Order: sequence, then C-alpha cells, then structure tokens
Amino acid sequence: MPLLWPLLLSAALFGVGVYGVLARRNAVLALMGVELMLNAANLNLVAFDVWFRDVLVSGQVFTLFIIALAAAEIGLGLAIVLRLFRAYGHVDVDRVGGDPS
Amino acid sequence: MIGLTLVIVLPALAALVGLAAIDGIEIALVSVGGAAITFVATLIVAVPRFGTAGPVGGSWGHAWGTLNAPDVSFALRADSLSAALLLLAASVALLVQIYSVAYLADDPRYRAYASIVSLFSASMAAVVVADDMFVLLIGWEMMGVCSYLLIAHYWERSDARDGAAKAFLMTRTADVGLLIAIIVLGQAVGSYRISDVLDAVAAGDLSGSTITVTALLILLAAIGKSAQFPLHTWLPDAMPGPAPISALIHSATMVAAGVYLVARMEPLFLASETATIVLGLTAVITMLIAAAFALAQDDLKRVLAWSTVSQLAYMFAALSVGSVVAAIGHLLAHGAFKALLFLAAGSVAHAVGSTAFADMGGLRRPMTWTFATATIGFAALSGLVPLSGFFTKDAVVGAAYDAASGGGEGPAPSWLAWLIVVATLFTAVLTVAYATRAWRLVFSGERRGSETAHEAPALMRWPMVVLAVPTALMGLAVVRPGWLAGSEAEPVHSWVAVTSTAILAGVVAMTWLLGRAGDPATRLGPIRPVLAREFGVDAAYNRFIVAPTLAASGLVLATDRDVVDAYARGASSGAIDASRLLRLAQSRNVQTYVTVAVLGIALAAVVAGVTA
Repeated sequence: MPLLWPLLLSAALFGVGVYGVLARRNAVLALMGVELMLNAANLNLVAFDVWFRDVLVSGQVFTLFIIALAAAEIGLGLAIVLRLFRAYGHVDVDRVGGDPS
Repeated sequence: MIGLTLVIVLPALAALVGLAAIDGIEIALVSVGGAAITFVATLIVAVPRFGTAGPVGGSWGHAWGTLNAPDVSFALRADSLSAALLLLAASVALLVQIYSVAYLADDPRYRAYASIVSLFSASMAAVVVADDMFVLLIGWEMMGVCSYLLIAHYWERSDARDGAAKAFLMTRTADVGLLIAIIVLGQAVGSYRISDVLDAVAAGDLSGSTITVTALLILLAAIGKSAQFPLHTWLPDAMPGPAPISALIHSATMVAAGVYLVARMEPLFLASETATIVLGLTAVITMLIAAAFALAQDDLKRVLAWSTVSQLAYMFAALSVGSVVAAIGHLLAHGAFKALLFLAAGSVAHAVGSTAFADMGGLRRPMTWTFATATIGFAALSGLVPLSGFFTKDAVVGAAYDAASGGGEGPAPSWLAWLIVVATLFTAVLTVAYATRAWRLVFSGERRGSETAHEAPALMRWPMVVLAVPTALMGLAVVRPGWLAGSEAEPVHSWVAVTSTAILAGVVAMTWLLGRAGDPATRLGPIRPVLAREFGVDAAYNRFIVAPTLAASGLVLATDRDVVDAYARGASSGAIDASRLLRLAQSRNVQTYVTVAVLGIALAAVVAGVTA
C-alpha cells in the first residue's frame, strides 16, 4: 500500500478535527475534534513507521504514548466540561467566560 | 565672648522652651522670664562697653575658607554702638513680653507669638553683636522671617496676610544687596569680619569703586529693612499685626537694624561721596513724604507707622552727614517713645476694639494712665524741651548744620547738608502737626464709637509707665560726652532749641485752632486724598512690578500646564486609546483565538513553502 493513502486519510481526519474545534459550539464536540486531530497524528506516525521499516518501531511506541496521553487529556477535558455545565448550565464554548449567572 | 553668645542664645532658648510649655501661664513665665534673664545678661555685657572701654570679641569654631573664599566663623564683637542697641532691644523686648501677657491673654496663638518674639530679639542681638558678616546676615534674615510671622499673627484677616507677604517680599528683595555686598567685600578684603573690612577702609586698601558699590548695596538692604523711600510702603501695611509687635518692630528691632547696619558701616559710606549723597537724598525725601502722609491717615497705628518712617529718615540724614552719635541717639530716644506710643495705641485698641480714629475721641478720662504716658510720648515725638526727642533731634539738626556751615567731617557736599537742615526743620513742623492731630483725635473731644472704654490692665499699664521714664529723661543721658565711642560733649544748639520750641508752640496752636470743628486734616482740602493715597507709590508698584510679575507667572503656569503637561497627558491618553484598540482582539471567545492561530500557522506554512 503506498504511503499516500494513509497520509490522505490522516489529512482528512485532521481537517475534520480542526473544523470540529473551530466550528462546534458544544464543548464535548470540540473535544472530539481535538481527539480526531490527535488520532490523525497517530495515523501519520504509524504510517511513517511502517514506511521506514524502523527496527525500534519508535513510531508505534509514540502512538501508544499518545493514546495514553489522549486518554488522560480527555479525562481532564471532560472534567472541565462537567464544571462548565455545573457553573453555567450549558456547555457552549462561545458563551462562557463571563460571570456565571 | 561667652556673654555675647549668651545674649543671642538665651532668648533663642526661651523661644524653644516656650514651645514646650503647657498652658498660658507657663508660656508667659518662660517668655517673660527668658526676656528678663536676657536683659540682665545684656546689662552685664553692655554696660562696661560705654565710656572709654574698647570693644570685646572673639569667635567660636572656624570654617576653613577655600581658595577663592575667606574663612567664615561664628565671630562676635561688641563696642559701645552694639551695647546701646543691645540694651534697647533687650529692654523693649522685655517690656513687650510683659505687655503681651495681658494684651494676648485670650489669644489661641499666644504660644507661637511669645516664642517668635523671643526669637526676634535673639536675631536682633545676633545682628548687633556679629563680627562675621554672615552671622549678621543670618540674624538679619531671621528678623525678616520673624516679622513676617508676627505681622501675619491674625492670619484669618486678608490684610494681615497681605501685609506680611508685602513686608517679607520687599525686605527680602532689598536683602539681596546685603548678600552681594558681603561677597564683594569678602573678595576685596580677604576676610568676612566687619572689623577687618573697616580696618581696610581706614587704611585705604579698597578701591573707590568697590567702596561705592558695596556702600550702595548695603544702603539698599538698609532702605528695605528701615522702610525708606522707595521701599517705604511695607511698614504702614504691616500694621494689622498685634500692637506690641509694632512696638517691637518700630523701635528696637527690624527697622533699627537698618540704621545700625549703616552706622556700623559708616566709614565705608563716608569714603564714598556718591553713597553719602544717595543716603542723604533718600533720607530727605523719606522724612518729608512720610510726615506728610502721617498727616492724612485715618488710623492711629498708620499715623505712628508713617511717623516711624519719617523719624528713621532723621537717623539716616544724621548718618549721611557723618554723625553716628546723633543718629544712634535719636534711634534710642525714638525706640523709647515709639515703643511707648505703640503700646499706648495697643492699650487704646484693647479698650475700643479698633485702631481707627473714628472709634476714639474723649479717651482722656476713662484711660488716665494711657493718656498721661501717650502724652509724654507724643511730646517727645514732637521734640518738646526737655524730653528725649528734643535733644536727639537737636543733635541731628545740629550735625547737619555743622556739616553745612563748617564743611563737616564727612564728604557730604554743603548743598546736601543745607537741604537736610531745611528738610529736618520742615519735617519737625509736620511732626508736631500730625502728633497734635493724633493726640487730639484720640484723647480729646467727644467720645465716638460704641464700646465703653476702660483703662488697660496693670500688666499693660506698667510697661508704658516704665517706657515713659527714658522717653522723658533719656535726652539728658545722651548728651553726656563719651556715652558712645567717639562722642564729644554734644553742645545743645540754643538756636535750635528756641526755634523748635517756637515752631512747636505755633504748630500746636494752629493745629488746635484748625481742628476746633473736628479733624484738623479736613483743612488740608484737596491735598488730603493725595496724601492719603500716599502719592500712589503702591499703585505704581502694583502696575509696574506686581502686575507684570503676575502676568509672567500666569504665562509660566500656562506653559507648564498647556505645553509641558500636554505631552505627559498625551502619552497617557495615547496609551489608553491604543490599548482600547488592542482590547478588541481579546474577545473572550476561545474559538476565535484558535481560528487566528490556525490561520497563522497555515500562513506561516505557505510562506515557508514559497520561500523554501
């Protein structure tokens, strides 16, 4: 399989993720956009790892690290979203920042 | 030397301790006690100086001079001239302190007042016994400060504030002359000691131009301090101060310092014909106009103030014909009778609550003591034989006559001496006229004004009685030969005695007759408003000095506010406007920030791709 396919897929995933972060008002969906961008990066790492035939498989090791980090990050992010909801009664990112009413 | 230091330090100490006193009685005890101890110390120091004894002196401490400046030290020196003034200052200060205990009994600022009076006499003592000219300058300026504070004693009143500021500004302006003269003399002689300067003058070590310039500069300072023409206008405006202060300023300190300074530097003046002529002309103009102004005033204290100006001019006239003895004799006699008159004026003001003639009249009966002592004072001022004023005025006129007829000792040209003779005689006429008028308006006639007059309390009465003694008798002491160094037996000029008695009787009678219907000054007719306006000298000062100064300060203010400050304010408002623009980017919307970041990264990537 040529390198191009996974790279295209990864670029598409990244674009969708950026769009999600920029365009969705719901904080949970914005977080999902962040996850998509992370995983697009993971896909790149795996693809290049295979393409280089790296004996240390460092690309795959990095990917595992990133999956673990992403799990931690999404835990933190969802906790913040929960606090946001408790404080404002909604999770619209463009309506937060002022005094909780 | 220790004695000389004590006469300065003791009153200064009394001033300090008085500030720490708890209640009015303690303040009175400290200030009167301090003045009394000072008086005793002054007696011990001063009395041995009369007669044939030479001067004493010495110096404390020593500051090394630099390459271009001679040494400065706390050097003091006293001869008979200093001793005479020390005695005058200490005795008047003591009497004023006693008088003030009663006069300012209910005054909330009595504490500060008493302390400043003590400091005032300390400053005068410093001026009188100074040998180093900088010690003299310090005392001189301290007196200016004290007089400012005391004139402004009733600072709720705008006339008191204005009068104080005027006195301070005018004397201070003139004092610049003294400072420059000290520096010039220090450079020329190589020492700041007065004794060294006078030695250098006697030895002829100084060039004629140096002598003339420094004499004129010193004269400027003396004119300012002693309120002579053209700086004469501050003294009458200093009248809003308490009456005992006027007594102190007008007799023993402040104005006396100007006469003392010229008398001390007399050899310097006699070495310069120009300075002598300027001195004589100033005296002639001042004595005439001041006596004329005194004739037209509506206020007792203002009459007395103009009278002081006029009498001081007598002393300067005597100095200009080279007679220190006549000048200082008149200074002492004037110190006694003018202090007495001001204390009497204070007593009258205490009784009727005002110093305007309109509120007085008929005070002879309710205020017997004040009436009696003030009558002696007015008589001495008029030069009635045999009161002190007669002898000393006689000495002044006589000295001028000697200078005019015999050529005299000093360099004064004979036309100047003749002018002085005529002016002093004519001023004597005016003096009798205004004294008679004031006396009559205060004490005789019907009672005007609503307050019930009462005799002054004992503490105010006795200082007046004490002052009446030298007022009456001092002339006999002053004509004694040798009382002041270099004074010879002063012959009483019999023609002056006869003439002045005739003048006195004539003028008193004339003033009395003219005033039968009321105020004799109304007979002056159209001249009176001109005199009451005092020839518009003040108006001219306002127009040509005060107004331009105010305009210039307004310009400076406007420049500072509208030009210099504009930059500072512009910087701050510019920063605020710029930050207002920048704040638009801070929208609080996270997604906007991320959008900008993504677009920026994309742009950077494109740029990197294009340039690579």
